[in-house]
Amino acid sequence: MTEIFSGLIPYILTGLQVTLEVTVLALGMGFLIGLALALLRVYGGKASSSIIAVVTMVIRALPHILLLLLAYFAIAAVVNLTPFWAGSLSLAIISSAYQCEILRGALLSVGAGQMMAARTLGMTRLQAIRHIILPQALRQAIPAWSNEAAIVVKDSSLVYVLGVPEILRKAQYYSARTYQPFTAFIAVAVVYFLLTFLTNRGLSALERKLRTPG
Amino acid sequence: MKTISKVLILLFLAALTLSACAPKAPANKLEAIKSAGKMVVGTSADYPPFEYKDEQDNFVGFDMDLIREIGKRMGVEVEIQDMAFDSLVAAVEQGKVDVVISCMAPTEERLQKVDFSITYHIQKNSFLTANESSLTLASPEDAAAYKIGVQTGTTLDDWVTKNLVETGKMLAENVLRYERADQSILDLQAGRIDLVLTDAGPAKEYEKTGQAKVILTEKLFETGENIALTKGEAELKAELDKIIQALLDEGFIDKLAEQYGLE
Repeated sequence: MTEIFSGLIPYILTGLQVTLEVTVLALGMGFLIGLALALLRVYGGKASSSIIAVVTMVIRALPHILLLLLAYFAIAAVVNLTPFWAGSLSLAIISSAYQCEILRGALLSVGAGQMMAARTLGMTRLQAIRHIILPQALRQAIPAWSNEAAIVVKDSSLVYVLGVPEILRKAQYYSARTYQPFTAFIAVAVVYFLLTFLTNRGLSALERKLRTPG
Repeated sequence: MKTISKVLILLFLAALTLSACAPKAPANKLEAIKSAGKMVVGTSADYPPFEYKDEQDNFVGFDMDLIREIGKRMGVEVEIQDMAFDSLVAAVEQGKVDVVISCMAPTEERLQKVDFSITYHIQKNSFLTANESSLTLASPEDAAAYKIGVQTGTTLDDWVTKNLVETGKMLAENVLRYERADQSILDLQAGRIDLVLTDAGPAKEYEKTGQAKVILTEKLFETGENIALTKGEAELKAELDKIIQALLDEGFIDKLAEQYGLE
């Protein structure tokens, strides 16, 4: 029992930094790419809009672990990325497809009349998007986005197949060494639960704070 | 004046060509490893006593000690890169790692993708049952009557498939394949399978820690553990083979096997 607190948990937590790094990189880069894609999808021309629709559909149709292995072994044959960067970038690209759809929905939820009104007032399209549409759309997106954030926290465990030593891989090392898979996996389950729970709590606090006044 | 400038230009061009040639690209993987002073080694560190991580997060085990000794004799540092067992062959094929040491036997499928060094160790295989089970086996073929668990993609998986299933002695659905050995032990304890077939070394560890008991240990095939390397790197293979042979002759490998409780 004491071994769990003195040995197992400290050992698994040595992988926590990697898990957090992968999650933040994947979510952050995924957001930037996803936002650009969503804007092009909604306000871009016909061609860019339909290309993005196809790309995000393909990404969302494939298992994440498959995309991860493809990125590491196929794309990385050209650019030699470390497992950590290959894993984080692939998760970012995967997440960007989902975030694109979330943000597209949020952008469309802002009534078309607002864009017309802004244009009538003499704003350019870009100004209208930046000052009128985006502030409302991003607020709208938070609930769906926090769901995606929880998914990315859990998806960060997938990089273990490339040998990135995040918490799940650490649990596997422990399980292999001590022949006690059950305790190791329960411990890692608790860590994941706490991570997603805290992420969701933080984001709902943000949602309340940013709620459109009135 | 004109001739002088012509000569100067020619000299300049000659110098340029020479300097461009100077840092000669390594002709093969062995030279590349030696000039980098570092060999990147792939392994799947979840298979004690061959490769695993200790409490301080170091890569340890029979294979790890062996590859470090090989690196020492090549005069290079060894950098261990851990990944899932299934990804190892692809990683060495793509040159992501220089070699792979992970208790790996040269199967036909693997030989199509990578080359292997000479065998550095051969071990027997063991059948395990749950502690409370009264099941016994007179020969490995008797296992055909029971539900059996193996690690997927291993030579043991092949052995069960070819010798028990394809010969019609055993129902295909009675073979359960697991990503890692410890998962099959959990199912054995839960009673979902009757037997686990694994390498003798790890089997002994499971028995020692009271997780399962060994009921039969036999040599099921002649192939042993070899180091995998990128196809067509004859120089690297020759170097590895030479060092492994020397380590075998000196008794270094026997001593190491004894140290890790392997036969």
